[in-house]
Amino acid sequence: MWSVVRSRTFSSSPATQQKWKLGFSMLSGGGDEGIRAGELLKLEEVETILRDVKADNVKVIPIPKHCDFADFMVVATGRSAWHVRNIAQALIYKVKQKQKGSKRMLLPSVEGQEGGNWIVIDSGKLVIHALDEKVRAYYNLEKLWSTDTSNQDHGLVEGQDLEKAFLKVRPKNNSKKRPSTSA
Amino acid sequence: MIQPQTHLNVADNSGARELMCIRIIGASNRRYAHIGDVIVAVIKEAVPNMPLERSEIVRAVIVRTCKELKRDNGMIIRYDDNAAVVIDQEGNPKGTRIFGAIARELRELNFTKIVSLAPEVL
Repeated sequence: MWSVVRSRTFSSSPATQQKWKLGFSMLSGGGDEGIRAGELLKLEEVETILRDVKADNVKVIPIPKHCDFADFMVVATGRSAWHVRNIAQALIYKVKQKQKGSKRMLLPSVEGQEGGNWIVIDSGKLVIHALDEKVRAYYNLEKLWSTDTSNQDHGLVEGQDLEKAFLKVRPKNNSKKRPSTSA
Repeated sequence: MIQPQTHLNVADNSGARELMCIRIIGASNRRYAHIGDVIVAVIKEAVPNMPLERSEIVRAVIVRTCKELKRDNGMIIRYDDNAAVVIDQEGNPKGTRIFGAIARELRELNFTKIVSLAPEVL
């Protein structure tokens, strides 16, 4: 419910989205309310599905207002590539079930389905990430998004990296002696 | 307008610093690549002690171009530099963080992973 309200108020391009909504509602006479609002999955539904498929360590991260590309980000860990793929499959199946009988089916965009390391399901205002355990630790999405002052933190982390990055060792020196052990 | 021999900055922390486009993926005889296109590039300059090295061949997605990007609503976006993000064959970014603003078009072109790592989406 919250996300529906927010999607109305904070939508990036209200004019175009309004038009699109209208077009969709005309096409499919009695569609679901959530789907008509441009939302394929609801947060509660996603949470129940993730619980059913036994995804580990599910985290729901509200995205700060200044980044308006989505409202919520859900991060879930799978135990293996098969498990990660099954998490994605379960969510897509749910979307299909919800729209059963309607003339046009609207599916979320899925990315990385062949790999099984990191699958992103982008259903408009809700972005669901299913990751392998190692991949999750590598990209560390929670740290990037969880804090309210994410951009400031981000800047600090970047600064440290950049400082390290600017310590350029000349290539010919590098080949002769061992690089310092601190890196 | 990225074509072979164009030098691009790298907008992530993968360890590469400068790329040179050597091929545009997607069509056989395409002249220019724009935002959201995948290119094959060679690393011209790299950060020391990182997994990526100089003269390595990688795939990259263009995220910023000096050539303006026009949207249907009349908005025009133009950046100061040409920049790309290094990806692997499956489309996962090599770096873990992305620097600078990127365009919303990348999400529609199924690069949601890059968009979700970026600090700012225009």
